[in-house]
Amino acid sequence: MKSVIIRPERCVGCMQCMIRCAEAHSQSGVLALAVSESVLAKPRIHIGVGPELRPFPNKCRHCEPAPCQEACMPGAIRSDIAAGLKIVDLNRCIGCGMCGMVCPYFAIRYYPAAQAPGHGQVAIKCDGCFERVARGLEPACVEACVTGALTFGEVNQHMNEGVNRLADAAFGVTA
Amino acid sequence: MRIVVVGLHAAGRNACVWLRRLLPDAEIVGVDPEASPPYARPLISYVLARELSAGQMTVEGPDFWDRLGVRLIPERAAALDPDRKVLTLASGRTEPYDRLLAATGSSPRPAGVGGPAAGDILYFRTRADLERILAACKPGKTAAVLGGGLVGFKLSMGLLAQGMRVELLVTSPQPLSLNVDDHVGSWAAARLARCDGLSLRTGVSVRTMERASGGGYRLLLDSGEELTVDLVAAGKGVLPAAGWLESSGLACAGGLAVDDRLRTAAPDVYAAGDTAVCRDLALDAPQLHAIWPMAVEQGRIAAWNMAGRDCPYPGALSMNAIPLFGRQMVSVGAVNPRLTGGCAGEVFEDRQGRYLKLVFDGTGGRLIGAVGLDAAPRLGELAWAVRRRLARTDIPAHWLRAPETAAPWAARTERLAQSARL
Repeated sequence: MKSVIIRPERCVGCMQCMIRCAEAHSQSGVLALAVSESVLAKPRIHIGVGPELRPFPNKCRHCEPAPCQEACMPGAIRSDIAAGLKIVDLNRCIGCGMCGMVCPYFAIRYYPAAQAPGHGQVAIKCDGCFERVARGLEPACVEACVTGALTFGEVNQHMNEGVNRLADAAFGVTA
Repeated sequence: MRIVVVGLHAAGRNACVWLRRLLPDAEIVGVDPEASPPYARPLISYVLARELSAGQMTVEGPDFWDRLGVRLIPERAAALDPDRKVLTLASGRTEPYDRLLAATGSSPRPAGVGGPAAGDILYFRTRADLERILAACKPGKTAAVLGGGLVGFKLSMGLLAQGMRVELLVTSPQPLSLNVDDHVGSWAAARLARCDGLSLRTGVSVRTMERASGGGYRLLLDSGEELTVDLVAAGKGVLPAAGWLESSGLACAGGLAVDDRLRTAAPDVYAAGDTAVCRDLALDAPQLHAIWPMAVEQGRIAAWNMAGRDCPYPGALSMNAIPLFGRQMVSVGAVNPRLTGGCAGEVFEDRQGRYLKLVFDGTGGRLIGAVGLDAAPRLGELAWAVRRRLARTDIPAHWLRAPETAAPWAARTERLAQSARL
């Protein structure tokens, strides 16, 4: 199964992923129009600042079992919408804050959402761009990333690349 | 193996889900008069506030227990004989068990009001309580809400949304005093004071309650004041619903004491949720945690241990998050000013009014709690930090400089970068 793989050491902190993520989750889906929508779309990926101002891309890990899903009172965090993804059903979310409270990666934030009934404050988190992926596209953040910090691929294949890097290091080759 | 789960709400329901995953062939019996269709109890406040419909409290279909393979007995438990390993139900029927989970939750703490009409006080815990309150609501009339904790606050907001005027009577000097620090507490009090249709009185208790001649109730306060209201509702905390365990010798006054595997003193009897008294990670002492996230977590851990997988439970942590006048209030661990007297606090506040206070214990500088307004994204991380018993020196300096934008502790950027360079 494909998933978004993050290599923080390659991130330069340009925040293009945040912009494209918000755009992809806006009503119009077009950046030029998204900025003037009445309820602004928010990014589901965030760049944190680490030691020595090093950027760190952070998003939902879609844990299994997921603490957020277990703690969700109205059963709004669902794993039956797309395989391997925990997706917030905005029709059920009440914005109570339980999921943000138990998320170990603080990947869940609370904003009003155009897609929520009454545009109320709801839990906003990565949905793996499941609709884009179903159309054969890559997740928006991956498409935006030019440095290779975010890639979309098979986890096992990524592991093989890691083994190759390890082999290089063992024979003194610096990448 | 025959497993009996008594109480099928947050803890019991999650325990059943995990027991079925871990023990596909076990016979699981669920005992609860109110289990079907499964609903989330905390959502009653959202229904009262007209934010959800009554149907939206239901979180699973009516065939949930069948699909899970749990035989449902819609009855109350009456007694437990841990020596013979037999549970007696209210009807007198008996159910033998190999392993039993006590997850009967809690019931409202009596409001401590005297007088002939004290029995008419409405409590707010179950679907039936909600129906009683909704039936008693009369738009334009006045309701008295006793208790300024989270339940009292939710009750007040709900009754306002139902068109009633609310007299909020709080015994403590300020509302939410058990859940937040002075800063957030006084902010909440100031907002409540400006709330249309609500009048807040702090430092008062109701002494007696009697029926008024023209309908409604007359309340006599300990300040000497008298109030005439049409409905009296109370949210004064909860007590463990462990009455059925009295004859078993297991229940202590404050609930069922459990060890680090959620086992009680009797063999093969486990407890989880509001009934269980386990170690509080912030206070390092046994405590009852009547909150949803701890109940589901303990249900899972108890299920693992009941299934024979050794699964330690280091302890529980109080944590709360509620929307408060358009802002998100969060608290984790020990933040109650009464419990954190000798502790050091570090406060972060910005121009938008976002507020986060970290509480470190006085001796070792260990992080024991945090409270915030609009600081929700950091709460999961703070809860983990309290659980991991991190000290002030463990928290990266860059995080303390800019908690709003710092990378997560859990990410350990440096180590990730090191291994990636390999």
